[in-house]
Amino acid sequence: MKNIKKGLFLAFIGASFMAPVQAEEVHMIMCGGEIRAADQVVISAFEAKNPGVTVNAEALPWGTCQDKSMTLAAAGDPPGLSYMGSRTLKQLARNGLIVPITISEDQQAMYQPGILNTVTDSGEFWGFPHAFSTKALFINCGLVEEAGLACVAPKTWTGMYNMAKAINDNTSAAGIGITGKDFDNTMHQFLNYLYSNGGSVNDAATGEITFNSPETIETLEFYGKLATVAQEGPMAYERSQLTQLYNDGQIGMYINGPWGAGQHNANIAEIVVPIPAGPSGESGTLLITDSIAVFKGSANEALAMELAAALSSGDAQYDLDMSWGLTPIMQYEKVMDDVYYSTDYWQTFVASIGSGGPEPMFEDFKALQAGINGAIQGMLMGEGSAADLVAEAAEILAEGN
Amino acid sequence: MMDKYSRLHKIGIYVSIALFLLFMLLPFVEMFVASLRPITHLFSRPPLEVGETLSFMDFMSRFWSDKMSFQAYRDMWVTVPQLPRYIFNSVFLATAVTGISLCFVIPAAYAYARFNFRGKSLSLTLFLAVNMFSGAVLLIPLYKLLRSYGLLNTYWAMIIPGVAFLIPTGIWLLKSFLEKIPYELEEAAFVDGASRLYTLRKVILPLAVPGIVVVGVAIFIGAYAQQFLFALTFNQNRDYMPLPAGIFEFIGYQSVLWNEMMAASLVGILPVLLIFLFMQKHLIAGLTSGAVKE
Amino acid sequence: MKQFIQKFKPKTKSQTTTLFAWALITPAALVMFWIVVWPLYETFRLSFTNSNLGTLMSGADYIGWENYEKLLGGRKFPEIVTRTFYWMFLSVGLKMILGLIGAALLASNIRARGVIRALVMPPWIVPIAIGCFGWLWMYNGHFGILSNFAEMAGITDGPFSFLAYRQSAFYSAVVTDVWIGTPMVTLFFLAAMQGVPKDLYEAAYVDGASRWYRFRRITLPQIMPTIVSMALLSAIWTFNSFEIIWILTEGGPRGATTTLIIDTFKTAIFSYKFGAGATRAVLVVLILGVFSVIYLSVLGRISKKYSYSRVQK
Repeated sequence: MKNIKKGLFLAFIGASFMAPVQAEEVHMIMCGGEIRAADQVVISAFEAKNPGVTVNAEALPWGTCQDKSMTLAAAGDPPGLSYMGSRTLKQLARNGLIVPITISEDQQAMYQPGILNTVTDSGEFWGFPHAFSTKALFINCGLVEEAGLACVAPKTWTGMYNMAKAINDNTSAAGIGITGKDFDNTMHQFLNYLYSNGGSVNDAATGEITFNSPETIETLEFYGKLATVAQEGPMAYERSQLTQLYNDGQIGMYINGPWGAGQHNANIAEIVVPIPAGPSGESGTLLITDSIAVFKGSANEALAMELAAALSSGDAQYDLDMSWGLTPIMQYEKVMDDVYYSTDYWQTFVASIGSGGPEPMFEDFKALQAGINGAIQGMLMGEGSAADLVAEAAEILAEGN
Repeated sequence: MMDKYSRLHKIGIYVSIALFLLFMLLPFVEMFVASLRPITHLFSRPPLEVGETLSFMDFMSRFWSDKMSFQAYRDMWVTVPQLPRYIFNSVFLATAVTGISLCFVIPAAYAYARFNFRGKSLSLTLFLAVNMFSGAVLLIPLYKLLRSYGLLNTYWAMIIPGVAFLIPTGIWLLKSFLEKIPYELEEAAFVDGASRLYTLRKVILPLAVPGIVVVGVAIFIGAYAQQFLFALTFNQNRDYMPLPAGIFEFIGYQSVLWNEMMAASLVGILPVLLIFLFMQKHLIAGLTSGAVKE
Repeated sequence: MKQFIQKFKPKTKSQTTTLFAWALITPAALVMFWIVVWPLYETFRLSFTNSNLGTLMSGADYIGWENYEKLLGGRKFPEIVTRTFYWMFLSVGLKMILGLIGAALLASNIRARGVIRALVMPPWIVPIAIGCFGWLWMYNGHFGILSNFAEMAGITDGPFSFLAYRQSAFYSAVVTDVWIGTPMVTLFFLAAMQGVPKDLYEAAYVDGASRWYRFRRITLPQIMPTIVSMALLSAIWTFNSFEIIWILTEGGPRGATTTLIIDTFKTAIFSYKFGAGATRAVLVVLILGVFSVIYLSVLGRISKKYSYSRVQK
């Protein structure tokens, strides 16, 4: 009996040592329904360069991809690399869930101005910038002319409001589409106006909250004013729903990213103009990026880092920018001749990069969203003066910084 | 005579039933209509002049237009290729939860129905107290628990919590049924020298079948309806996802494919609706005979 | 050894019974303990920590009653609790009334009774999430059927987004919740009604009692136990109703539909503040516990008057 037991025990130990060594795996999470062909090329090249390594590439629906990565990381099973909104980077970094990355000087110079600010915290880079967008104002010329005005770009908020009011009064459509749902793109919509009015959320260097300022109050009041000539029930809308309204000729104008042209009906005559400037500032825009983050403690961290760098540079990156209809994340014109963004349409989005402001980096980014959206919703529902709402929001932001 | 209604009364009843059914079924009708319309038609309003409002014809045009087709039903398999898998998963998960739950529920319900023993009231109350919170409250510790057992991202991750939260209701329901079975039958068996276990198997079980069926169906429906939360939190593996989680895949980067989403929803619930259609007679008969009192 | 076992062998019949009963119950009890009791304890423990994204697995610091102080002292908490109770009472009340009406209708002598009964069931059978998507589409302001109908009928003079305003969002959520809960209540009430002995009705009929009188004086009292227990169950489920509100409004325009369970989820899962979320979860359990005790003791008396419990010895 004893001998048999001993034998079994040894066999067990031996077996566990001789368990087949699994091929090294890098777990990658991307957003969107499928892995693009350009990415597939990079993955294949990577696997060829590192024999014995397989890439487990997962493409998840937009609603769940970011959450999944964060949940896995929190549970101690982090993926190797993952596509994340850059706003999450600070929280991930502060909680020790991702590793800082290094970007060569040459590569740094390639990026559009301001991009790297969106992935920087405490002096380090925390993600490879991977997708970028700026915003502009789309105007339905058909409705403008029907309202009796010339289809010319409004340069100021006053001009914009007057145009929207004319459309609202003289046609069956609403003047403008604005959002109010507690979504991230509501906050983004507002920030477009804020950055066109010389306002800011926080000081990038010190982190001090600068949200509570006259410029912000002015912006919030204007947003409320726009609501009087906007579609009914803005609180139920987020930006993708505005596209639907726009396509059905229900709103005269709205702010959207460069992918907008691809989503709009062919029979809508439209112009795309920079966001009009407020009384206290110049035309600006919001710079948002998504990044590829490399997680700490995954099975093959170094390999994941390598793959992330490969996916976010060169042809693969260019292909993503072009196929998703994004503002170019790098200044490709420096290294290639025929770029996809050379038309006037694109120049509207590219030209505003210089005067744009970044999506603020907050540790508790949900608080950032809740604070700003709370103020917006309060304004839309008439539940307080702009000054009070902004002050309240600033408090919430201060806690979450 | 008592059951005969006056004309007026009869009309009143039918009208009321029609209204009641309208409320219950309107969403499904609308979902079906939406699934037939091309996406551009879904998001369009009839063109109006300034100051005009929707006419009756405009309103009715949403229910019928020459642009309608079953195209969405074809497209949805392409948009979400794993749809058949999700439908299967939903049914499989609900069935598994039902089967496993019953294994625990039946003996326990029998004990509560038949015996008086120490700790009976207390334990029964504790079981029922579990109903007092939904799974949403315990998500994080459950996540840690399942993770430490390595059960995350498997079918078990969704089955185990489902079973745990449905057992109390099952015990409570089945207990009522079993209490209706006359004790004399058991006594007769004892007198003949049968052991308790034998009695349970050969005497009680056959009689309890209608009750078990009812409770089984109730648990199945409960499991089917509640899968979503556990699937969302505990499972990341697409192969194991049930239908509601799969429906989320129709929400794209920039837009939601409502028509296909509606089509997929309707097709997805079809199996369960059919099952229920067959079982409903038994369900109501069972509930009626062992009327839920107490 | 043998003497040790001898001590535990059942000596009386009632002891054998107890042992056997517990043997039957233990498997179920074990599952409960494992899946419910331990997580409950863990939630309780977490509520005293500042567990968050980075410390979920590695262990967070204990911060004593800080989470509770912050929550109970905040100005939003009383509002949320009140709102949750209002939500619960309104929704359950409506479900009970509609359930009674529905059951009475379905119990009446009409043609195609079986078919109609089956047609009432879908909201219960269908996954809650899917039903909610249907309602979400119907509540759409510009393109949804309800808004379009209101426009056409002249009730409103333009599109109306039901989920965009405080009041309408709240009541819309209530309507959807009632829609989901009514079939089950109807079914159980129907079953209870069918269990009422026919001769009671006949005696009243012979004495010239009207339908309404029969309903009020016979049906209602007879099914009262069912009403009471259904109401409590429904109240607890409605209090914890999460999916419906989440899919429709995610807590609503500026918190208009934020009930306690929504707040718990938002804090814990959405904002990754597990400690603070656990605090809310503990309060949910406490509040419901207190409510149930009050409810049961107050109505337990009424229930006793009508109950027919038969428990064998």
